[in-house]
Amino acid sequence: MQIDMRNIRKTFFGAPVLKGVDFCVHSGEIHALLGENGAGKSTLMNILYGLYKPDDGTITIDGEEVSIEDPRDALSQGIGMVHQHFQLVNTLTVSENITLGLRETGYPFSKRKLIDQRIKELSETFGLDVDPAKLIKGLSVGERQRIEIMKLLYRSAKIFILDEPTAVLSPPEVESFFNVLRELRNAGNGVVIITHKIGEVMQISDRVTVLRDGEGVLQSRLEDTNEHELSKAMIGRTLTQREHEIRSIDVTSPRLVLQDVTIHDGKLSLLQNLSISIAPGEIMGIAGVDGNGQQELAEAIIGIRKLSSGTITFNGNKVDGRSIIDRMNNGMGYIPADRHNDAILLPMNLNQNLLLKKHLDPNYLNHHFLKRKKAESTTKNLIKEFFIKTPSENTAIRYLSGGNQQKFVLARELDSDLQLLIAFQPTRGLDLGATDFIQSQLLDLANRGVSILLISTDLQEIISLSDRIAVLYKGENMGILENDDQLDIALVGAMMGGKRLENQ
Amino acid sequence: MKINRNIIHYIWPVASVLMTAILLLILIGVDLGSAFSGFFRGMFGNIYQISEVLVKTTPLLLAGLGCSIGFQCGFINLGAEGQLYMGALASSVVAIFLGHLPHLLLIPLMMVCGFLAGGLWALIPGVMKAKFGLSEVIMSLMFNYIAIQFIALAIRTWLKDPEYPFPMSQPFTESAQLPRLVPRTRLHIGFIIAIVLAALVYIFLWKTARGFQIRACGCNPRASFCVGVNVNLNIILSSLLSGGLAGFAGFVEVSGVQHKLMDGISSNYGYLAVMVSLLGSNHPLGVAIAALLLGALDIGGLSMQRSAGVPTSLTTVILGMIVIVFLLRHHFGKKEKEISHE
Repeated sequence: MQIDMRNIRKTFFGAPVLKGVDFCVHSGEIHALLGENGAGKSTLMNILYGLYKPDDGTITIDGEEVSIEDPRDALSQGIGMVHQHFQLVNTLTVSENITLGLRETGYPFSKRKLIDQRIKELSETFGLDVDPAKLIKGLSVGERQRIEIMKLLYRSAKIFILDEPTAVLSPPEVESFFNVLRELRNAGNGVVIITHKIGEVMQISDRVTVLRDGEGVLQSRLEDTNEHELSKAMIGRTLTQREHEIRSIDVTSPRLVLQDVTIHDGKLSLLQNLSISIAPGEIMGIAGVDGNGQQELAEAIIGIRKLSSGTITFNGNKVDGRSIIDRMNNGMGYIPADRHNDAILLPMNLNQNLLLKKHLDPNYLNHHFLKRKKAESTTKNLIKEFFIKTPSENTAIRYLSGGNQQKFVLARELDSDLQLLIAFQPTRGLDLGATDFIQSQLLDLANRGVSILLISTDLQEIISLSDRIAVLYKGENMGILENDDQLDIALVGAMMGGKRLENQ
Repeated sequence: MKINRNIIHYIWPVASVLMTAILLLILIGVDLGSAFSGFFRGMFGNIYQISEVLVKTTPLLLAGLGCSIGFQCGFINLGAEGQLYMGALASSVVAIFLGHLPHLLLIPLMMVCGFLAGGLWALIPGVMKAKFGLSEVIMSLMFNYIAIQFIALAIRTWLKDPEYPFPMSQPFTESAQLPRLVPRTRLHIGFIIAIVLAALVYIFLWKTARGFQIRACGCNPRASFCVGVNVNLNIILSSLLSGGLAGFAGFVEVSGVQHKLMDGISSNYGYLAVMVSLLGSNHPLGVAIAALLLGALDIGGLSMQRSAGVPTSLTTVILGMIVIVFLLRHHFGKKEKEISHE
C-alpha cells in the first residue's frame, strides 16, 4: 500500500499553514515527519486522517485518487491515527474501549469472550502487552498508548500515524515502544511518526520528511542524511535579522544561582538537576523545544512552583521556599509566556492591571486605600514611555492588540527596582515591530545591569540576544554555550533534540 | 442610527417582559385594567404599601450584597438562604437568653452574632474550596437544607416556646427588637443599616487594596496568584463576608419584622438574593436597585391577587422572565461591544 499526498495546501483564518507539501508513505517502512512546532506536521496528518479538508492538492492510495471525508472514512481505507491526547473512556475496560463504536458480531450483545480472544492474539503477535479486562482508569500513559495502537490494529489499519508518540513516555518505555513499531513494520504496515526530536528519527526511522513553515524542505532515506543536515533543514532560517553584539560580562559573581534544581510531578521529572547561574547584566538564553521544562524553570525561580530538591540563590540569599511577593520585592520580575492567563485581568482597564502588581506597594496605598490618581498617572507615563497604543488608560486591556498587551506587561515589570527579569517567550505571537521594540528593551535593560533569563523557543531570538545559551531537553540542561562567533547553530539544534554537550 | 439601536436596546427587554405579563393576564382571564392598577397601587398606593416594599427590600439587599461579594471573588455562594437562617438562629438565641440586657447592648450583640453565624456557615464551603478545590456551588446549596432543618429542629425542641402549641421560639423582649422608622408600619431601622452597608461594601470592594484583591481573584485567579496574591485567603475571606451579610439579613428579619424565630422566616430571600446580585451586576448600587425591584414586584403581586384575583405565581413567572431577558441583553450587549472595538 502506498499513499501519496501531492501539493497539499491549507489555510487557517487567512494564515497559510501548508504551502504545497508533498508527502509519501508506503507499507513496510517507518517514516518520520520532522519539524519545529507550528511547521504544519500535525495539520498535514490530520488532513490524511480526514479531520481537515485540504484547500488544494490530491491524495492517492496505490495510484487511485481518493477523497477522505472523515476519520471513519480514513479507517475504512486502512489509515489510523493516534493523537497526542488519547481518546479513551476512563470508566470502561480496555476491551470495551477497543471495540467502542464498532458493531461487533452479536451487537448490541457483544461476545466479549471472542473479542478478548482476538485482542490477546493481536497482543502476542505485536508484542503489545495489554490486559483486555482492566479499566483504563488505573493504567499508565504507556499502557494507554498501547491501547490506542491496539484500537487501530483491531480495526485492521495498515498505515499508523502517531502524533508525537514519545512525548509522554519515559526512556525505557520509549525503547519498548520502538520495538512495537518495528514489529508493526515487519508485519508489512506503514508507520508515520510525527516528531521534533532528531535523535528519535536517527534511531527508528527508515525515511524522513522535514517540514518547515508549511513547506517540505527535505525528503530522504535515512542512510543518505545525517543529524547535522536534518537539524539545519528543520531550523533553517538564516539568522541575520538582529546582529548579535558580543559583550564581555563578568560572570565571577553571579546574581542568580540554581543548584541541582529538580521538580517532580508524580513519577515524571519535569526538571532534573538543573544548575545555571546568571551574572549582573547578563542575558542567559534558554533554548529548547516547547514543553521541555521551560515553564517549570520560570515558575520555580519566581516561586509559583515548589522545588522537589535543589536550591535557588539570589544575591547570595537562599530564596526557595520564600513567597512570590517576597522574591518580587527583592528585585525579581516575571513576564509569563501565557499573558492572558498568568499576567493580566482581561476585562479590567490598564490602571487596574497596573494595580494588580502595585496594590500591595506602600507607595500606592494610603492606609489600605488605593491611590487611584497615582496609579493613573503611572499608567499614563508607561503608555507614553513604551508607545502603548490604547484609546486611554481606562480601556479594558482585552481591547489592546497582543503586542500592546505585552508592552504593557513588560512596562509594568520594568517600573520597579528590577535586578532579574525572567522573560518567558516575550515576543511570541507579536508582529515584527513589537518584537523589535521588546527585544531592544531587553538589551537596554541588560546594559543597565539587570540579569535576564530569556526563555524562548525561537532560536533566532535566543541567538541574537543572549550572552550565553543553555539548552533544555526533557528538563535537563544539555550544556551551556558561549554565544560568540564560533557558535555552531547546528549543534544547538542537535542539543535541542537531546544531544548532550560532551565536556560538561 | 446609533441612538436608534440604543433605544431598541433598552426597549425590547421591557417590552418583552410587559408582553408576557399581559399575555398571561389575558390567559388567566382577568380585567387588565384592574390587575395593573392593583399591581401599582400595591406598590405605591400609600405610605404603608411603600413601607412594605422597603421591608421586603431590606433582607434582599443584605443577602444580595453578600452574594455579590462572593461572586466578585469567584466564590459562587448559592447558600445565602442557609446562612440567613443561621444568622437568624444566632441572633434569636442571644435575644432569648440575654433578653434582659439593655437595648443598646443587646442589639449590637445580636448583629455581631448573626453576622458571625452566617459567615461561619459560609466559611465551611469556602475553606473546602480553597483547600481541597471542592465545588462551593453544590456545597453551599446543600448547606441550605442542613441549616433550614436545623432551625426547624431547634424551634420544636430546645428553643420552643412552652406557652404555645406551635413550633416557634419565645417572642423577643422589647429591647431585642429593632426600632421602627415610621409609626404604624413594619419599616424598621434595618433598612437604613442595609443602605449604609451597601455603601460600605462599595467602598471596601472598589477603594481598598483588599477589595481590589478580592475582585482580581474573581477576575483571574491564576494571574493574581502569579503576581503573588494569596488567592485562597481571599476566597476564604470573601466567603466569610458573603455569608456574614446573609446572616445579617437573618438578624434583621427576626429582630425587625418577626420578633421571634419560626419556620419560613425567609420567603426565599436567600435564593432571590442570587438573582438580585445577578441583576445588579454584583455592584452595590445595582444590587440595591435590583433588591428594590424584586421587593416591589413581590408586594405588587400580592396586591394584584387581593384586588384582581391574579395568583401570585404570576410574579414568579415575571421574575424568571426578567432574569432571562437580562442575561440575553447582557450577552448581546457584550457581543456588540466587542465588534465595535475590533
